[in-house]
Amino acid sequence: MGRLFVVNLEGKIYSCKHCRTHLALCEDIVSKVSFHSRHGKAYLFSKVVNVTMGEKEERMMMTGRHTVVDIFCVGCGSIVGWKYETAHEKSQKYKEGKSVLERFKVSGPDGSSYWANHEVSQLIAGSDADDV
Amino acid sequence: MGGVEDDEPASKRVKLACGELKGNPNGSLLSEPSVGSSRDLMARLLQSEDDEEVIGSKGVIKKVEFVQIIVKALYSLGYKKSGAHLEEESGIPLHSSAVNMFMNQILDGNWGGSVVTLRSIGLKDESTIKSASFLILEQKFFELLDAEKVMDALKTLRTEIAPLCASSNQLRELSSNLVSLSQGPSAGSSNQANLRAKSRPKLLQELQELLPPTVMVPERRLEQLVEQALTLQRDACVFHNSLDREMSLYTDHKCGRDQIPSKTLQILEAHSDEVWFLKFSHNGKYLASSSNDRSAIIWEVSANGEVSLKHKLSGHHKPVSSVSWSSDDHKLLTCGVEESVRCWDVASGECLHVYEKAGVGLVSCGWSPDGKWIFSGVNDRSISVWGLDGKEIECWKGQRTLRISDLEITSDGKEIMSISKETAILILDREAKSERVIEEDQTITSFSLSRDNRYLLVNLVGQEIHLWNIDGDINLVAKYKGHKRTRFVIKSCFGGSEQAFIASGSEDSQVYIWHRGSGELIGTLPGHSGSVNCVSWNPVNPHMLASASDDGTIRIWGLNSHLQQQKKQQQVHSNGGSIAAACNGRT
Repeated sequence: MGRLFVVNLEGKIYSCKHCRTHLALCEDIVSKVSFHSRHGKAYLFSKVVNVTMGEKEERMMMTGRHTVVDIFCVGCGSIVGWKYETAHEKSQKYKEGKSVLERFKVSGPDGSSYWANHEVSQLIAGSDADDV
Repeated sequence: MGGVEDDEPASKRVKLACGELKGNPNGSLLSEPSVGSSRDLMARLLQSEDDEEVIGSKGVIKKVEFVQIIVKALYSLGYKKSGAHLEEESGIPLHSSAVNMFMNQILDGNWGGSVVTLRSIGLKDESTIKSASFLILEQKFFELLDAEKVMDALKTLRTEIAPLCASSNQLRELSSNLVSLSQGPSAGSSNQANLRAKSRPKLLQELQELLPPTVMVPERRLEQLVEQALTLQRDACVFHNSLDREMSLYTDHKCGRDQIPSKTLQILEAHSDEVWFLKFSHNGKYLASSSNDRSAIIWEVSANGEVSLKHKLSGHHKPVSSVSWSSDDHKLLTCGVEESVRCWDVASGECLHVYEKAGVGLVSCGWSPDGKWIFSGVNDRSISVWGLDGKEIECWKGQRTLRISDLEITSDGKEIMSISKETAILILDREAKSERVIEEDQTITSFSLSRDNRYLLVNLVGQEIHLWNIDGDINLVAKYKGHKRTRFVIKSCFGGSEQAFIASGSEDSQVYIWHRGSGELIGTLPGHSGSVNCVSWNPVNPHMLASASDDGTIRIWGLNSHLQQQKKQQQVHSNGGSIAAACNGRT
C-alpha cells in the first residue's frame, strides 16, 4: 500500500478498533441514542475523517427510505459505518451529509471498546430506529 | 486622421484629406517629389469611396486602418518607395497633411510652428496637448543650452515652459541645467558628448508614443497584431511541447499528440518496496527517488536519455518520504518519516550530515536557494531552520505544518510554504515576517510550487487538483480532475515546455496529464501495476517524465518516436547491449 494519507485529530478521538486510525471527535457527535446497527449502538457524527466510501445504495430503514454509502477505514479497509447521502423523508433531512459510526467498530476516547450486545434483537442491519 | 472627428465615415475622411493632399501628396517623413498629378489622385480617391469600408470575412477590419498599418510596416521595413506608392495607389495617406507638417517641423527644429500645429491635428485631450508641448519645448530648451544660448534658454524656460509644468520639481530640474552650465564644465560631471538634447528623431518617436493611435499610427503595429495571433495559436495548441520557437505564418500552429511523453522507455527496478517520491535535479541530469524500503537512490540521466543507477543511499530507519535537491544539484536531502533528515553528497553518495531533534521527528525537508540553510517541518507542528553544520538556527513554533505535509521554498528564498491546517496552506514571508494563507474547502493532501514561484498546484482528498495563483492576490485559477485518489498521498507536478502541462499519479496505476491552460485531460499512461504515487517532469527535457509506483518500479516515459528509435538501436546491439534494467517493448 502506498503512503497512507491520514488526518490527525486532536481532542477526544474515536479511532478504528483494528488499526487506530483517527475517525471522529467526540465534539462532533450529533446523536448517541437514536442509531443502531446489527452490532448494537451507533453514533451519528457531523464529521468523520480518514474513510473511503462504497457504492450508493437505497436502503429502507425504520425511519424511511435513504440513500447511503458504506464507509471504510482508510488504514485497514474495515467497514466502520455508513454515511447518509440523501434522505427521502423531510423529517430525516437533517441526517444528510452526516455519518454513523458503529460503536462496535471503534475505540472510544478513553481507549474503550464496545462488545456487541446480542440482546439487541431482530433489528434490520443498519436500521436507525428512533427511540423517541 | 486629419482634422476630422473619428466617428465620421471613412469616405468623408479620405475626401477631406484629399483636399489637403494637393499640397503634400505623400506621407513620407522626408519631403520627396510628388508622385502623379493631383487630378489622378482625386479620381482614384473618388473611386475608393465606392469600395467596401470593411474587409475580411467577419467584417470587423476597417479598410483604411488596414492599409495604413501595412504602409507603416513597409516604411519600418525600409521600403520607402513601396510605402509611398501604396499610399498613392490606395488613396489612403498614412498621415494627414497636418501631421506631416508637424513631423517635418519637429525634424527641422521649428518649435513654435510645431506647437501651433499640435492644436490642429485633432487632439481632444488637453493634457496630451500639454505633455506634447512640454516635450517639444524641453527639446528647444536643451538645444539652446547645447548651443550655449543661455539667455534664450532662460527666456524659454520662464515664458513657455513654466506655465506647462505640472510640478515645481520639473521646473527645478530644468533650471539646475542652467546653473551647471553657467558654472562651466566641471571635471566630475561632464559627460562625453556634453549634449543634453536628444536627437530629433528620438523626440519624434517619444511624441509618437504620446499621441493617440488615431492621429499617428503606432510603430510596428502590424508586427504586434501578428505576434498576438501567433501567441493565441500557441496557447490554444494543447499538445505544444517543443523547445524550438519556430512558428509559421502560413498555417495555424497545431501540434500533434506525439509531442507528449506517452511511451515507457525504461523501467527502473532497484527499490525493494513501494516507491513513494521522485524528483529530477534542476539541471535534468539526475533523478532522485525515495522508497518505503527506507532508502533513496540517485540515478544518472545520460545525454541520450538513458537512466542508470548512480548511488543507493542507505541509513534511514524509516521509509523515506521525500527528497530535495540543492540549487546547484551537488547535494541532496532525504527525509525519513517522522525521523531525521540526511544530507548527501551527490558525486560520492556519502552521507554528509544527519539532522535530528530530540523527542520529535522531522517530516519534510528543503534547501535555502543559497545552499546555506536547511528547512525542515517537525511533527510538533513547528518548522526548524538548520545551518549546514547541523546547528538549529531558528524554530518557528505554532501551527506551521502538519505531520503529512510538503515543504516548498521560492527560488529567491523569501517565502516558505507548508500545509498548516487540514484545509489551508501557509505562505510565510521570512523577511517581512508576514503570512498569507490559501483556504480550500476540502482537506489538502499535497502541493507543488511552479518554477516561476507564481503558482501552487494543490491535491485534495476529493480527487481534485486545484491551481492557485499566489503572485499578488491569491486566487483559484483552474481545476483538474479524472485521476483516482482515495487512500494515499498522490503527488502532481508542473512540466513540459514552459510548464504548460500538469501531470499526476493516480491510484488506478496510471499517469495522468492535463493541459494546464484549458484543464483538458490529454493523456493517461497505463503500465504500472500499482498506485502511481509521484511524477516528475524533467525540467530540461520536456519530453521526459518519470513516475514512481507501489509496484516498486520507476518508469521513464518519452515520445513514441524515441521508443521507435530505441527499438532500432537495440536491434543493432542484439546480443545484450546493456541498458540498465531496461525492458524492450513492454508498454
